[in-house]
Amino acid sequence: MNDARLNVEQVEADVLCIGGGPAGLCAAIRASEQSAKVVVIDKSHTLRSGDAGMGNDHFMCHIPDVQGELPGFFNKIGKMSQAVTKTFWENAYDLVKLWDSWGIPMKYEGRYEFAGHSIPGYPNFMLHFSGQNTKVKLTKQAKKAGAKIINRVMILDLIHDNGTIAGAIGFDVRNPKLLVFKTKAVILATGKCMRLFPQNTGSLFNTSTSPVNTGDGRAMAYRAGCELTDMELNDRWSGPKYFARNGRGSWTGVFRDPNGIQIDPGNEMPAHFYPELHENYQKSGRGPLYMDLSDISDEDYEYMKHFLIHEANTPILDFFKEEGVDPREHPFEFMTYGLITPGGINYNEKCETPLAGLFAAGDEFMSFYIAGAAVFGSIAGESAAAFAAQAKPLDEKRAQIPVVTAKELLESVLNRTDGATWQEANNAIQQVMADYCGLIRSETLLTAGLEHLRRLKKKVPQVLMAQNQHELMRCVEVLNLFDIGEITFVAARERKETRQYHRRTDFPFENPIIGAQTLAVKKENGQPVPKWIMKA
Amino acid sequence: MPAVIDKEKCNACGVCVKICPTDVYYGSKPKEIPVVMYPEECWHCNACVHDCPQDAIHLRIALNMQLVYKS
Repeated sequence: MNDARLNVEQVEADVLCIGGGPAGLCAAIRASEQSAKVVVIDKSHTLRSGDAGMGNDHFMCHIPDVQGELPGFFNKIGKMSQAVTKTFWENAYDLVKLWDSWGIPMKYEGRYEFAGHSIPGYPNFMLHFSGQNTKVKLTKQAKKAGAKIINRVMILDLIHDNGTIAGAIGFDVRNPKLLVFKTKAVILATGKCMRLFPQNTGSLFNTSTSPVNTGDGRAMAYRAGCELTDMELNDRWSGPKYFARNGRGSWTGVFRDPNGIQIDPGNEMPAHFYPELHENYQKSGRGPLYMDLSDISDEDYEYMKHFLIHEANTPILDFFKEEGVDPREHPFEFMTYGLITPGGINYNEKCETPLAGLFAAGDEFMSFYIAGAAVFGSIAGESAAAFAAQAKPLDEKRAQIPVVTAKELLESVLNRTDGATWQEANNAIQQVMADYCGLIRSETLLTAGLEHLRRLKKKVPQVLMAQNQHELMRCVEVLNLFDIGEITFVAARERKETRQYHRRTDFPFENPIIGAQTLAVKKENGQPVPKWIMKA
Repeated sequence: MPAVIDKEKCNACGVCVKICPTDVYYGSKPKEIPVVMYPEECWHCNACVHDCPQDAIHLRIALNMQLVYKS
C-alpha cells in the first residue's frame, strides 16, 4: 500500500477550454478576443497534441472564386443538423483566411488548391493546405490573444452549480496535484474516441488517429447529464497495413491485386472511400491489395510527398527511406482498421449542448474534420464568452464540487499495489466491444455482452492501479472508455435495423422510418437510457 | 524501443520531454538525457524527431508496425 496524496489547487477563469487541439485553441482565441479570461487545458502539450499534432493537409471549405457558386451542393455534406451544416459552409472560408493570416500556409504555390480526398466528377471541397505546424501557430495565437494554457492536466469531471456547468475538476499528469477549475462556462474539445474497439494492429497505441483521445469529453458530458447521439453508428477507416495512420486520401496511387490488376470498387468512387475493400480481399483469399505508385510522374510524386508530410505521415516516408526502398517500385499493403466512434455530443450551430454553460466543438461529434474544429471552435469561444459575461459567479455553497470523490478515486488507484494495470482493463473492454458489439450485432449478443461489460465496469474502479500520475491518466482514460462502451451497447441494442457498420443479424435491413430520427442516450438514475429524437 | 536518443548528439534541452503527446518520456529529469519510460505508448508520430534541435532522435519502427511491401 502506497501513501500518495493529492494536493488541491484552484484556478479561476471565465471560460475553460478542455482540450488544446484546433477546436480548443480556436475557441480560446475567439473567447479571449471577446475579453473573457480563458484557460486551456491539455493532457499532453498544445504544441503537438492530438490528431493535428504533426499536421493535416485537407480543410473542407467553399471558396466561390475558385470552385464557383454551387447552390445546393454543400447543404447535404455533413453529419449534423442542417443548421450546423449551413453554419459550417458559410464560415469555413473565413477561417481559411484567418488561419492563413496566422502563418498556417493555406495556399500551395500562391493559389488555393483543391485536390486529394476527392470524388471524380464532383466538386472538390478539400482545400490542400500545408498544416504540419498548425498547432504551433494556433498555440502562439492563443497566447497572443491572452489565453492561459495549462499543459499536462487531465479533466476528470465537470462541476454543476444549480443546473449550470461552472467548472471542472482535474489532475496533473506529472505531479501529485488535484485542480479545481471554477469558471462561468466550459467548452469541451477533447477530440475523438479511440482505444474502445481493437484496431487489428497488434497494440493498443497503434491507432490511425491519436491513441490518447479516449472520448474524455463525451464521457464527462454524459456523466454530467448531457445526451450523446449516434453512438452506435460506428465507422471504419483504412490505411497502410500494420502502421495505422490516417491520410489514405493523400496517397495518389491506385490499388492493385497481387497480379497487378487495378481494383475498382464498381462505380466512379475511388477505392480509398471503401475501407473494407482490403479486409474483404483478404477474406476472399484474392488479396492482399497494394497501394501502387508506379504510374505517377516524378512531379506528382514530389507533390504527394509534400502533402503526406503535412498529413503527419513522415514516419511512413522515413520507414521507406531507412529500408532503402522506393515505394514507387515496391507496392505496399493497405488494411482495414477497427471500428471508431464518430457520434458524440451533438452540439448546435452555436455550439451549445443541452446543458447550460456547457459548449462543445470539433470532434466531440465528428463531422467536418479539422475545418469543423476551426469553425465550431471559434463559434464555441464566442458563445461561451457571451454566456460567461452574463453568468453569476459560482456559488461555493450550492455548487457540487466533487473534490472528495475525485480525491478518493484517484488516490485509491495510486495507492493500490495489487490489481489491474490500465492495459489489462483496456484489453478487457476492447475484447467485449469487438466480440459482442462489433461487426456482428444481435439482441442475444448485445444482451450477453452488456451484462459482461457491466460486471467488469463495476470491478474496474476497485482494481485499477497506477504507479504514478502518468499511469493514473491512462487509468482514467479506461474508465471513460467503459462509460462510452456501455452507452454504445445500449444504443446498439435499441437501433433495431442495419445501417452503415451497425449490422444487426436479427434486423438485416435499413429502416427508412428510423432514418428520420437520431438515437440519443442519456443518464437516468445512473443508467444509460436510449431515446429517439427527430432529426433537426 | 521506438524513440532512440543519440546520447552523443543530445544536449538535454528537454524539448522532446516537453512536447511528447503521449508522454513516453515521463519521469525524465531536467538537464539530463531523457529516458524513454513508456516505449509501448509511442504513437510513432515523429514530433520529437521533428522538433529536436540537435537531430538526436530517431524512431525505431516497432516490429509489429513494419509496413508490408512487395520485393
